[in-house]
Amino acid sequence: MDTRPLETAADSKGLRRIAIDPLSRVEGHGKVTLLLDDDNRVRQARLHIVEFRGFEKFIEGRPYWEVPVMVQRLCGICPVSHHLAASKAFDRVVGGWPVPPAADRIRRLMHYGQIVQSHALHFFHLASPDLLFGFDAEVDRRNIVGVAAAFPDAARQGVMLRKFGQEVIRITSGKRIHGTGAIPGGMNRAVDPAERDALRAELPQVLAWAQDAVTLARRLHESLPARYADFADTPAAMMSLVGRDGAMELYDGVLRLREADGRIAIDGFDDQRYRELIAEAVKPWTYMKFPYRRDLGVDDGWYRVGPLARVQNCDFIPTPRAEEARQAFVAAHGGRPVHAVLATHWARMIELLHGVETVAALLDDPLITGGPLQAEGTRQHSGVGIIEAPRGTLIHEYEVGDDDLVTRCNLIVSTTHNNQAMNEAVRAVALRYLDGETITEGLLNHIEVAVRAYDPCLSCATHALGQMPLAVSLRAADGRVLDHVLRSSTGELLRDGPTHDAEAAQ
Amino acid sequence: MNASSPSPRKLRVATVSLAGCFGCHMSLLDIDERLFDLVERVDFDRSPLTDIKTVGEHDRCDIGLVEGGLCNAENVEVLRAFRARCTVLVAVGACAITGGLPALRNHLDVGDIMQSVYGRVPDDPELPLPLNRVLPIHEVVRIDHALPGCPPPADAFWQLLQDLMAGRTPVPAPGLIRYD
Amino acid sequence: MSAVDPTFDLDGQPVALQPGDTILSAAARAGLDIPHLCWSEEVSGSASCRLCTVLAEGRPVAACVTPAVAGQKVECRTPSLATQRLRLLQMLFVEGNHFCPGCEKSGNCLLQVQAERAGMTDLNFEVLNPERPVDASHPDVLFEPNRCILCQLCVRASDEIDGKRVFAIGGHGIATRLLIDSPSGRLGDSALSVDDRAAHICPVGALLPKRVGFAVPIGQRRFDTEDTRG
Repeated sequence: MDTRPLETAADSKGLRRIAIDPLSRVEGHGKVTLLLDDDNRVRQARLHIVEFRGFEKFIEGRPYWEVPVMVQRLCGICPVSHHLAASKAFDRVVGGWPVPPAADRIRRLMHYGQIVQSHALHFFHLASPDLLFGFDAEVDRRNIVGVAAAFPDAARQGVMLRKFGQEVIRITSGKRIHGTGAIPGGMNRAVDPAERDALRAELPQVLAWAQDAVTLARRLHESLPARYADFADTPAAMMSLVGRDGAMELYDGVLRLREADGRIAIDGFDDQRYRELIAEAVKPWTYMKFPYRRDLGVDDGWYRVGPLARVQNCDFIPTPRAEEARQAFVAAHGGRPVHAVLATHWARMIELLHGVETVAALLDDPLITGGPLQAEGTRQHSGVGIIEAPRGTLIHEYEVGDDDLVTRCNLIVSTTHNNQAMNEAVRAVALRYLDGETITEGLLNHIEVAVRAYDPCLSCATHALGQMPLAVSLRAADGRVLDHVLRSSTGELLRDGPTHDAEAAQ
Repeated sequence: MNASSPSPRKLRVATVSLAGCFGCHMSLLDIDERLFDLVERVDFDRSPLTDIKTVGEHDRCDIGLVEGGLCNAENVEVLRAFRARCTVLVAVGACAITGGLPALRNHLDVGDIMQSVYGRVPDDPELPLPLNRVLPIHEVVRIDHALPGCPPPADAFWQLLQDLMAGRTPVPAPGLIRYD
Repeated sequence: MSAVDPTFDLDGQPVALQPGDTILSAAARAGLDIPHLCWSEEVSGSASCRLCTVLAEGRPVAACVTPAVAGQKVECRTPSLATQRLRLLQMLFVEGNHFCPGCEKSGNCLLQVQAERAGMTDLNFEVLNPERPVDASHPDVLFEPNRCILCQLCVRASDEIDGKRVFAIGGHGIATRLLIDSPSGRLGDSALSVDDRAAHICPVGALLPKRVGFAVPIGQRRFDTEDTRG
């Protein structure tokens, strides 16, 4: 399985280890390690997820109606994605799918509010410092505070766009973070007309900011220094939900997979059957799994999800301003598939604009203030919920027993789909910009710039309990590793398991 | 000598998410425009929002905000560094205070789970050892204050920081103590 | 209130009393809150949680079972009682598995609201995280023992209101637990019906009608106030 270039050094003895730990301005905790030889040639580069929180395991045994609220704690940035993906899965379990139109509209409103807040957060608060100041600008400046000082208008727009999205979530779920709006089969609340009107009054300004955000993202992308023209250019297949008509669709749709060259490989695929499409592999150096297309296998079956994939995977965006921006994006690249990861920021802001337009349309829909909110039907034993979270396709799958307790849970979060793509991006950048160089902080930040483009939610990615190792190192006082013990899945104790000199440097 | 008194030193604030979901950090950002007032009066040290990787590397930190409980050995190490280098340490949110939902795994035996779940064991020295139980942070270090909630309301963050900046002992207003 | 009505003094306020009143029932009728968990006007008192401990003429007593006496001086809101209540609440939290963020009782939970009102911001003690398997065997009622605070309200409701005696308390010390009267010890094999009062009287999320979950939105739950806004 470890056959990809730079994934595993042929011989790690004597290599120098450099760690970017923790990765910063991303959500959650991860690190990148590099192994370099005496000539500073990169021999190995890996993105590791080093934490797990065990959600899949402890959700088993819980009553199903708790789960859409519990799983929000996978992630405080996109709790709505987990809330709605789980709710959609349990809609099936209670026989309440499709939910009544009013509930559908309110859920969509919540979700598109989240697209707005999360995309604003990612672009302005986390990624913009790299683009505004340069990848190797001084560390003290490379953050939202630095942006606020040097580009106060941009910082303010980011904060206010995020606020607007958070308020949309609050009026649909009762709280900005970790509310309780969706329940299996529908919603527990409609939108209060007074709160709707307050948000509608802000729309002209918010739309203008969103339009400006697209302009800014495009300008920053097109004014990148020439040496970044092919930054982390990593061709990959693209997966997302789309509408049955090929429209961009973030709440509910069918799966489409497009090859890196732009050809559609799979289309109209039923979300309930995702397991026929995707399997997951495990590697020993990270807690994050590696999903792959079953038809192509582990090594060749990886793909990309998220804004860059979605903007190119759909045939059109069903709101006018965002569609215009999408066409401009396509035209600017001559109609060719785009795989330069920094273009993700531009795609992300197109989606933010689409989010604001969709919120505007839903706020005008009288259904959101009332109507039947819950559907019921014949009880089922399992359900799948797939949604396009801000970072990409999010899959929740549950089985429920006759006693109402969850018996099995499988989650594939957006960032996990992008695991291989992010590792490829890290290696592409390491080879292009760091290989043979004297490593500086600024050069290391280049790697983080590539990881950040994916807006990885390492918080979501730490949900898995499945790959937990038990490894014990015995070290001398000087840090030398004297012994390394590993307990295998069969309970067998292995000594001198795979290790490298770098461990002594930890 | 100089009649005008120097403006008061900016407080240094470090933040970290251990075994948390980042929601507490998001709730801090939910102070919205007040963020701009805040950064006039504080500098951020290590935080997921900055690129400073080690807490208090250059200057001692005045305030450390810790989100999340402890699920592995590295969490413990980072928490101890925060305790050592922050004058005031605040446990922020349900996970830091109680272990939170990740502590629902505490009734499961770590070894048993490994036996049952794996195909293959990630065995790399880059991965820190998991703890057998997810712990709230007060079981490992002394905490000075706690801000409950999942997440604590944005106003609770705002009030805490206002109190600390003014040198007052923070006491959350009644409506700001929430556990959900 | 006429001058001839008998009263007692609660933190400086006169409280009218009627024959058979306890300190807590008289205070509750007057709209004065004495913190409590295991008391309900629907069933007899049990003095099991001790949160309602007050000083009657300086002597600590459980307000829920202590008869109100005319002319008596009762103190409830003293600093030392406040600290004692806080510690009691913290011990209840660490003794079970009380995870408000994922619990459907949140906003309707008496333990949660008493702790919030007591100003509890941390747990102070080591958490025990006991292992207590969920009993989902009943078709309509869930028993989640991780949240049980042994208040015995269900025991008394089943006995005094439903006439069924489905529940009892057994064991000692830390091993004390709620027992279910059925051959298997499971709720599904007991005489409990979802229509019983015992299925609804739980002040926490230990006994719950199934498939209700988070049906009541934030803002409309029992203890929500205007502060309850994300």
